[in-house]
Amino acid sequence: MKILLIEDDPETAEHVCHALRAQGHDVDESQTGPDGLMRARAGQHAVLIVDRMLPGLDGLSLVRQLREEGGQTPVLFLTTMSGIDDRVAGLNSGGDDYLTKPFALAELVARVNAIARRRDTQPPVTFKAGDLEMDLLRRTVHRGGRAIELQPQEFRLLEYLLRNTGRLVTRNMLLENVWDLHFDPRTNIVETHMSRLRSKMDRGFDTELIHTIRGNGYILRAD
Amino acid sequence: MRIRALHTEGFRIAAIFVVIFALSAAILAGVTIVIVDDELRNQIVQYANSDIAGVKDGYRTGGEREAAEVVEQRLVLPGSSDFVVLERGGKTKLAGNMAPMPPQLGVLNLPDPGGRKDHAILGVGTFITPDLYVFSGSDLYRAQQARQRILRTLVWVFAGALALALAGGFAASRSFLNRTDEIVKTCRAIMAGNLASRIPLRGTEDELDRLCDTINAMLDRIAALMDNVSQITNDIAHDLRTPVTHLRHRLERARLQASSSEEYDQALEAAILASDDILRLFSALLRIAQIEGGVRKSAFAPLDINQLLSQLGDVFGPVAEDARHHLRLSLYGRTIILGDRELLTQLFSNLIENAILHTPESTLVSVKLRREEDELIATVRDDGPGVPPEEHEKLFRRFYRREASRSHPGYGLGLALVAAIAELHGARMTIDSGPMQGFSISFRLQLAKA
Repeated sequence: MKILLIEDDPETAEHVCHALRAQGHDVDESQTGPDGLMRARAGQHAVLIVDRMLPGLDGLSLVRQLREEGGQTPVLFLTTMSGIDDRVAGLNSGGDDYLTKPFALAELVARVNAIARRRDTQPPVTFKAGDLEMDLLRRTVHRGGRAIELQPQEFRLLEYLLRNTGRLVTRNMLLENVWDLHFDPRTNIVETHMSRLRSKMDRGFDTELIHTIRGNGYILRAD
Repeated sequence: MRIRALHTEGFRIAAIFVVIFALSAAILAGVTIVIVDDELRNQIVQYANSDIAGVKDGYRTGGEREAAEVVEQRLVLPGSSDFVVLERGGKTKLAGNMAPMPPQLGVLNLPDPGGRKDHAILGVGTFITPDLYVFSGSDLYRAQQARQRILRTLVWVFAGALALALAGGFAASRSFLNRTDEIVKTCRAIMAGNLASRIPLRGTEDELDRLCDTINAMLDRIAALMDNVSQITNDIAHDLRTPVTHLRHRLERARLQASSSEEYDQALEAAILASDDILRLFSALLRIAQIEGGVRKSAFAPLDINQLLSQLGDVFGPVAEDARHHLRLSLYGRTIILGDRELLTQLFSNLIENAILHTPESTLVSVKLRREEDELIATVRDDGPGVPPEEHEKLFRRFYRREASRSHPGYGLGLALVAAIAELHGARMTIDSGPMQGFSISFRLQLAKA
């Protein structure tokens, strides 16, 4: 996948590039706002990674301008840890996700993968993974033809995992997208709900669909 | 040398009043002089006319002789003119105390016969017969003198007023200067580092006292803020040393003891986790500072607190259950307040997590919402071991950690954040707790106007 990284701090840029290239991605780099906007306009990239603070044109303005011109490329914002209003401002300007520095590389890669396919065609109303089926309209889940009763929270958790089938989702992605929690909880919210979901979904079946990637997060895989 | 009292606002005002007073006194004097002068001249002309009428009467009854008689009588009579002359043909004086003069008619101004300074004659001349001429007039010296007396009085009054104004203005300026000097002195002392300096008050409750009182209050506030800042700086410096030192120890030990790449990996993993902890501490501090700075007020929007708490119930219910606690919600129904959803979520999450983490197993944690007139009271309560009242205030300080909670990970910033969020929402916070009485914390929130 071709990714454009617009970041003026050489150390962060190298760090990010290295990680993305190690994943087999093709990364273009740009150090300034105007240059980044020019390259982004070409529309050849699957994902843009944009730092909030850039020389020449700040990240928010860059993305706002790109969106006004009709550019649809998904955007992941990077920012230093200042500013608790930043996330909302970033999303309002047309960003798709938001990551605060410093971040774990696994977190960055997972989020890039998650937003890369977000602007897909029509959102699906049913998901299928192996023998698991979820119907969003009927709010039902079946595995191997057997109905599985889920609590609303568990349903949302499974839905998010299914939307990202085959891709790593991190703890923070789950907290933000499933429970709308934008801080570090001190209790094991994710683990608790995940273990409940798993006990309903995977117990009694030969293969486990949800896998734990130690220290990083979870992945739902059908194979 | 500059006399400082002359360069003050008080003195300037005194000077302006002196000028206004001088102008009005001059106008008053001018008008008085004109009126008095006019009155005296009228009187002189009246005397002259009555003399002339008398002389004419005398002539009608007894001819020239009788007329001359009347002239002599008139000259000694009080309330008549100073000078009278009766002459014939412009040359021969028949009676009077003046030399004969060329006859002129009407009201006349003549020079003083003796040529004295400040003297002149005002009078009336007329013919009794074509040959007989009479003139009667008086010295204008009195009018001249009245004018001079008025002028002199004015000068004295003006000089007195000027002296009084100068003295008063000077005294007022001096007293004002003394007060401002005190303010200046205090400010300089503070600039020089003596932050405890305050401006002395006089207790007169005048405008300067009020100004000084306000300045003192401002200084108190600044001092309190600075204390707070230096307290935080100390706290940060102190509380950051611990995790950074641990990190350093860990890395040092790895260098000395690790013998396989696996052991190095483990040490690096631990070091990354430790540095994440330090960064988390920084973000938490920054978040508190930003909330206290009020930046989030712009993100306020109507939100249903009932729904927010019910969601948190769904999130934390299983967590509490796994920790062998009970979480019970007692909600009110749809309740709209104005606030920041993200921050209020964090506030209540923090309290619920505290209740789960810091109480023994099988503790009941309850979240309750009730209405009291226009206010909404949200309470998070547990029936755990509680906190003695003397500790209540300390709980909300940054980095404060109770003895009992030191075994748990954390920095003691959770309740400081809660307090900052509550303050931002204008929510009054009350704690109800004591040893073995559980712990309860309530917030009074204003309902949004429908």
